[in-house]
Amino acid sequence: MSKYAFWPGCVAQGAAPELYTSTLAVAEKLGMDLVELEAAACTGAGIISDGEPYLQDVLNARTMAMAEQMDLPLMDICSTCVGVHRLAAEKLREVDYRIRINAHLAPEGIEYRGSVDPRHLLWILLEDVGIDKINSLITRPLEELNLGPFYGCYIVRPERTLDFDANPTRRNSLEQLIEILGATTVTYDGMTKCCGFPILTMNKQNSLTMAGTHLEEAQSLGADALVTPCPLCHLNLDAQQPDAAKVIDRNLNLPILHVPQLLGLAMGIEPEKLGLTRHVVDTNRLLNKIGA
Amino acid sequence: MAQQQFIIERYNPDTEESYEESFDVDVQPGQTVLDSLNAIKWEQDGTLSFRMSCRHAICGSCAMKVNGQSMLSCQTQVDSAAERGDPIRVGPQGNQNVVKDLVVDVTKFLDQFDRAETWLEPHEGQDPPEKEYRQKVEEFDHWSHASTCIHCGACYSDCTVAAVDENFLGPAALAKAYRFVMDSRDSKREERLQFLSEEQGGIWDCTRCYMCVQACPKDVLPMDAIMELRTMAIEAGFTNNHGTRHHKGFTSGVRKRGRLDEMMLPVQSVGIGRLLTGNISAHKEMMDYTPGAIRLLKSRKLLKIAQRHGANAAGREQIQRIFEEVETEKHHHNVDAEAFGAEFETAIGGH
Repeated sequence: MSKYAFWPGCVAQGAAPELYTSTLAVAEKLGMDLVELEAAACTGAGIISDGEPYLQDVLNARTMAMAEQMDLPLMDICSTCVGVHRLAAEKLREVDYRIRINAHLAPEGIEYRGSVDPRHLLWILLEDVGIDKINSLITRPLEELNLGPFYGCYIVRPERTLDFDANPTRRNSLEQLIEILGATTVTYDGMTKCCGFPILTMNKQNSLTMAGTHLEEAQSLGADALVTPCPLCHLNLDAQQPDAAKVIDRNLNLPILHVPQLLGLAMGIEPEKLGLTRHVVDTNRLLNKIGA
Repeated sequence: MAQQQFIIERYNPDTEESYEESFDVDVQPGQTVLDSLNAIKWEQDGTLSFRMSCRHAICGSCAMKVNGQSMLSCQTQVDSAAERGDPIRVGPQGNQNVVKDLVVDVTKFLDQFDRAETWLEPHEGQDPPEKEYRQKVEEFDHWSHASTCIHCGACYSDCTVAAVDENFLGPAALAKAYRFVMDSRDSKREERLQFLSEEQGGIWDCTRCYMCVQACPKDVLPMDAIMELRTMAIEAGFTNNHGTRHHKGFTSGVRKRGRLDEMMLPVQSVGIGRLLTGNISAHKEMMDYTPGAIRLLKSRKLLKIAQRHGANAAGREQIQRIFEEVETEKHHHNVDAEAFGAEFETAIGGH
C-alpha cells in the first residue's frame, strides 16, 4: 500500500468539502494510505506573504519537515497549496536561509532538511499509481463527455519550480487524465490562465470577467464540464458562476468537477459520495449523460 | 535541412481582415523563429510585417506569441518551439491593438511607465554630480535583476489582468517602479509606495498568476517585484486598502486557528472598522457577498464553513508560538527582505 503525508488544505475542509470527501473515497479505491497532517498550518496561499513572506516560509518549512520526519512523500490536493509548497521548497534550498528558518522549528523538535518534493494528487495519479492501475479500476468510462481542463496557475507556473523536464507528464496532466478515463479533451485559451479568485474581494469586476471569459470560451467550444485540480478555481468558476454570467452578460451553465470527483465517477463511485450534489452549478445533466 | 510549417496570424489594416497563413520554411539546426520570419519575408511574401532589430535578445523589439506564449523570437530556436512535425503558430503580442500582422501598437504599454513616473528623483538640495549618480554595489545587488528589463512587452502581452483591465499598470511598469523604490539614489520612496498602493490598477490588482515571470526573457521576476512592493507598502503604513485588509484578515485567521477562516475573512476584507463607523461603501461591499452566501447555503457548503476547521490543538500552540517569535525577530532584522533575497537567489540562480 502506498502511503502519503496528506495536506488537504483549508478550502477542501471549508468551502469545498466535496474535494476532501471525494479524495478520501478515491484514495480508498486506489489503495492509497493518507496520513493527514492535522497539526500543519495553512500554506498562506501567497496572501500571508503579501506582507509576511518570512512567516509564510516558516509555516511551510514546518509542514514539509513533518512529512520529512514521517519519511513520506507529501501530497497536496490544491494547485495553490502545491505551488506555494514548491516555491517554499525552492527558497529553502538556500542553506543559510534554511538554517535561519529552522530556528523556529527547533522548539518543536523538528528540522527541515530540504528533501521534500511536494506533489499534487493529479501528478501522483500519473507518476505513482499509473495508467494501468487506473485503467483496471474504470467501471464507467466517460466516453460521452467533452471536458475542458482548468489548471490553476501554480500547478503550471513558474515552470522552474515544477520539474516539467524531468517529469514531462506534468505538462498536460489534466488532458492525460481526461483521456485515460475515456473522455475527450476540449482545449481552449483560458485553460492555463487565472480564474480571478485571488482578487475577488479586491476587484470583483476584473475577477469575474476572468472567470466568465474562460467559462464562456469552454462552453462555446462544446465542453460538458470543466475539471480542475484547484479548489480556489472551483470557488470562482462554480460558486461565483451566476455572478460571472452577469458580469460578462452571457448565459453560463457549466459544471465544474474536482479531479477526484472525475476519477471517482469513472471508477463507479456514487455521485452523492463524491459530493456532486453539493455544487452551485447543477451536475444532473452531466451525470445523466454518463448514466450515473 | 528540414522543413518546418509556420502558421502566422496576420492582419491587413487596409481591408481590416484577420486571417491565418501557412508557410513552409527550410530550417537549419539552431535557426531561430525570427530567422524563419526573415526567410518568409525575403523569399516568399515581402508584405509580412514584424518588428526586429538587434537579433541578440537585447533590444526587445521582436517579442511575439509563439505557440500562445510571448517570447523573443530571436531567442527562440525552432527546435525548442515545436516537436518535429508540429506546426509553429506565431501571432502578435496580446493585450494591445494590432497595427499590421505581428506589429502591435505599444503606446498603451509604454504610457504605463510615465504613469508610474519611472525615472530617478534625486534627493533635493543635491547638486547633480559631475559624472553619474553613484551607489554601492551592495545597494544595487538586491534589485539588480529588476534593472535588466528591455521593455519587450512580453510580460504585458501575457498579463491576465491587463487582459480584462486597460487601467492596470502592468508587470513591466510595476517592476520598473520597484526598481526606483529600491534605489538608494531616489528620494521618492514613500510617495511611490503610496501611489502604487492607492492607485486604481496598482499593486493590489495583480492576481499572482506568474504569467509575467514565465514570459520575461530577462528574469526580471516582475510578479516578485509587485509582491515585494506590497510588503514594503504595508510596512510603510499604506494599509487603508482592500489588499492589506485581506492580507491582515487572512493572516490573523491562520494565527488563531492555523487555517484560513472563511467565516471571518469577508468581514475583515471589507474592514470591521469601516463597517462600525457606518461607511456606506463598506456596507455595500458586504451586501455584495449576500448572493454568494445564499448560494453556498443552498449547496450546503455554508455549514461546513461555519464549523471553522482548524489545526489540531498541539499544532495551534506551535503555530501561535511561531507567529510570536517572528513578530519579535522582526524588531531586530528585516526578515522579509531576507525572504525575498532567498527567492531571487534561488529563482535566478536556478535557471
